[in-house]
Amino acid sequence: MLKNYLTIAWRNLKKNKAYSIINIGGLALGIAVTLIIALWIEDEISFNDYYTNKSKIAQVFQSQTFNGEIGTGPAIPRPLEVAFRDNYLDNFEHLVMSSWNNSQYLKYGDKSISKSGNFMQRGAPEMLDLKILEGEKDGLREINSIMLSESVANALFGEEEAIGKVIEVNNQYDMQVTAVYEDIPVNNSFNDAEFLMPWEKYITTQEWVKEAINSWGNNSFQMFVQIADNTSMQAVTDKIRNVKKELDEDNAQFNPQLFLFPMEEWYLRGNFEKGKQVGGRIKYVWLFGIIGLFVLLLACINFMNLSTARSEKRAKEVGIRKSIGSQRNQLIKQFLSESFIVVCFAFFLAIFIVLLSLDGFNELSRKEISFPWQNVLFWIVSIFFILITSLIAGSYPALYLSSFRPVDVLKGTFKAGKYEGLPRKILVVLQFTVSVAFIIGTVIVMQQINHAKNRPIGYDKEGLIQIPTFSQDFTGKYELMRSEFLGSNAVIEMSTSSSPTTRIWSNRNGFTWEGKPEGFQEDLAWTEVSHEYAKSLNLKIVEGRDFSKEFATDSNAVLINQTAVKYLGLSNPIGVLIKDDSEEDPDPPLRIIGVVEDMITQSPYERVKQGMYVFDKHGNGSYYNLRLNPKQSASQNLAVIERVFKEHFPGLPFHYDFVDDEYGKKFSAEERIGTLSGIFTALAILISCLGLFGLTSFVAEQRTKEIGVRKVLGASVFNVWNMLSKDFLKLVVISCFIAIPISYYLMNGWLQDYPYRVIIEWWIFVLAVVGALAITLLTVSFQAIKAASVNPVDSLRTE
Amino acid sequence: MIEIKDLGKSYKTDEVETLALQKLNLKVEEGGFTAIMGPSGCGKSTLLNIIGMLDSPTQGSYNFSGIEVGGLKERQRTAMRKGNLGFVFQSFNLIDELTVFENVELPLIYLKMGLAQRKEKVIQVLDRMKISHRKKHYPHQLSGGQQQRVAIARALVTKPKLILADEPTGNLDSKNGIEVMNLLTEMNQEGTTIIMVTHSERDSYYAHNIVNLFDGQIVSDSSNKLRAMS
Repeated sequence: MLKNYLTIAWRNLKKNKAYSIINIGGLALGIAVTLIIALWIEDEISFNDYYTNKSKIAQVFQSQTFNGEIGTGPAIPRPLEVAFRDNYLDNFEHLVMSSWNNSQYLKYGDKSISKSGNFMQRGAPEMLDLKILEGEKDGLREINSIMLSESVANALFGEEEAIGKVIEVNNQYDMQVTAVYEDIPVNNSFNDAEFLMPWEKYITTQEWVKEAINSWGNNSFQMFVQIADNTSMQAVTDKIRNVKKELDEDNAQFNPQLFLFPMEEWYLRGNFEKGKQVGGRIKYVWLFGIIGLFVLLLACINFMNLSTARSEKRAKEVGIRKSIGSQRNQLIKQFLSESFIVVCFAFFLAIFIVLLSLDGFNELSRKEISFPWQNVLFWIVSIFFILITSLIAGSYPALYLSSFRPVDVLKGTFKAGKYEGLPRKILVVLQFTVSVAFIIGTVIVMQQINHAKNRPIGYDKEGLIQIPTFSQDFTGKYELMRSEFLGSNAVIEMSTSSSPTTRIWSNRNGFTWEGKPEGFQEDLAWTEVSHEYAKSLNLKIVEGRDFSKEFATDSNAVLINQTAVKYLGLSNPIGVLIKDDSEEDPDPPLRIIGVVEDMITQSPYERVKQGMYVFDKHGNGSYYNLRLNPKQSASQNLAVIERVFKEHFPGLPFHYDFVDDEYGKKFSAEERIGTLSGIFTALAILISCLGLFGLTSFVAEQRTKEIGVRKVLGASVFNVWNMLSKDFLKLVVISCFIAIPISYYLMNGWLQDYPYRVIIEWWIFVLAVVGALAITLLTVSFQAIKAASVNPVDSLRTE
Repeated sequence: MIEIKDLGKSYKTDEVETLALQKLNLKVEEGGFTAIMGPSGCGKSTLLNIIGMLDSPTQGSYNFSGIEVGGLKERQRTAMRKGNLGFVFQSFNLIDELTVFENVELPLIYLKMGLAQRKEKVIQVLDRMKISHRKKHYPHQLSGGQQQRVAIARALVTKPKLILADEPTGNLDSKNGIEVMNLLTEMNQEGTTIIMVTHSERDSYYAHNIVNLFDGQIVSDSSNKLRAMS
């Protein structure tokens, strides 16, 4: 029986080639999109699967309240470690203090490279279960030891054995290689930890770290833990919640609440609002999952529509089969096997499409997804997927076609009923509702990105580069380098800053100033800068003046931004003294000498944070900011800058970033979403149009006689085109009416995540409607005009 | 074999009720050959469809081989048709996508017969219909007469008790028409009951008795004197 079903299914496919191509092609596209999205989702949800202790690892987070606003983050103070070790150690298998991931210069012989890594406590390699390729797992035992990732070891030593070799870090101290570990794969946290050095080294080489041992207010560190087997994240959180609040009286007013943030949630659920976890990337997993299902549904709808549209052609076969003894369920099985065959073909074609497009998709989504040929689970899921898709696509045609009464079809009086086309129309409406909603969604995402991109950023990011200056080699050389670079004619201005231009690395509180409201808990972005900072960035001074070497008192001067003026409640900010309210602070108060325009350093979608630019009298600069000479090409300038750099720092690699590139990275997540949704929208429309194209050709075929008669009676090509097109246009108009409110609701919700957001304007909907109608007309017109142009005699003869 | 009493069939649309058959009584004995005749629209095909259990009556009773089938549901009627009835249509009604062999094989597949047995029976019946040399051809590659022979082969392959033929020669030229009628006669002589709807006086000569319908009623039911005379 099955053979008979498959035989007839195969012959039907061969016989109706155009129909088969539309059906299989459309379905293959839909399945390919679903497959790619499924692979992407699998990659997203398997984030951090590299770590065998994933379910037990967490990072200590804290929420603090400033002026009623709760901020949540991973930065914690050093004394917390002591408190945990003294009182709660039995809750942890490992407790690991860590620095932030930072670039360091690693030098071996003539080779010098800049790599990023962490200073971590001894338990880290065991907690993360690093795969040791050479050396020992307990590689952070000695203070002068360093563990290298395989790629760093290769870069430094090539084929030579790494263990025991001594490398120089930042031209400052020597470290001996104790272990080489397998590179941590891309879709894992700590993937950027290309080396590990002992936490103790961090303390002994950085004075400020050493001093932070008793400073509860200095939240500049991270703590990772692996909880003990006999406890849970929640149980430990319940114990540690108020530790800081109880031990740190000075900051108790900020109500610090500690909690364990499980590794399993770092990647997908890392957003916090008002101290509560509010999701994160998981929303994109859902979003793309739903898009994938919708695109697949669109393709299934094509199958249903084209199958049922051909009902009159299949009716005779159904009648004959029934008259010679076929039960309805046998016919249902037959039609389902046909859909199974189509889905199988489509699936294999989809795999081919996926293989062709996977590299491009990886580039777009910044992933390293490979096709899971050897994953048995993938193939099992695929079989289920084929069966379910066959069922979805084939169920309606199977039920519909098998319901024909043999007596009607064999008498030759079978005509599809008055409402026979209704389900098909509903499905077309559903298809175009999804397509129009996709169009609207994509336009709004793109608009939001452009809205943020066009936002004035407060400084000139073009022709500006930044060079990291973490090495001790840079200490005390700023003025020399400035004069060298300016003298080279490649740079027209230069400054230093303690944070990169596109980030805020430090926030401060604990200040007093005249007129400070009682109980006001300030939180200010803190950047230490040289005299020329505003000039080098073309940052506009809107009130007061810039730093000047002519004023010796400027060593205690500060510039604040416009938001800070409002935030601090200053009606006349110039001259106001900002005093550190800690009694131990030996420095004189800071005097506000000027107000600079707000400059976007964090998310371009959020309001600018209140900030202070303090004169850097301690030489804390972490970056050189260089304004390139606009009269020369960037490559010419860079060649000169590199030469000057190498003259003074021969042992350091020349590393720089263009500030506009760094700023551009702030849009990468949204741009990826925009591009992906654009592609999926295009595919959704293509699939819907394929279906519409097929449907129009069947309608034109069904109405061949009518078209002939109408033409004999005087109808023009336009009349016939109008007759065939308007039915479809009506459906698309209905789709637009359904899609517009739904997409408005969904996109408005999406935009709420962005404080700086675009307003959804009416023309977007008009654009989507006009676009959908134009696409429909183009698709339908081809077949309609073809049918209308046939000689009426031929049409009547056909009948 | 067939006993029909007070059978009626009406079709209802929103406003109109059309009586296709009314108060019809008919008896067909096993081994008989009955021709149903009458002008277009008199209800011949409706009657044949009801007898063939493709349709159900709205009134009266229809007894087939001792079983009342008038009130059966589609599923039950299908089960009754299987193996008991064979159909021969004016327009042949072969499945275009299946070869000659596969078309004839189809009723046996629905009877869940094994492959070897199916093959044997199909070859037998195709040989008998002198069409086995065309067994790998598709319907559109055959002449009308050949297609009708395939249709008869398909009707016969299950050795049904009853063959229902609806204008079996309607689409054929006279030579092929005679050939088809001879085949049906042969079947009948071997014991298969045949009921045939026809417009053709010539074809009706082959029947044992002729039922004349007019406006959904039997106006005469007589043994075929011409045939008897010949």
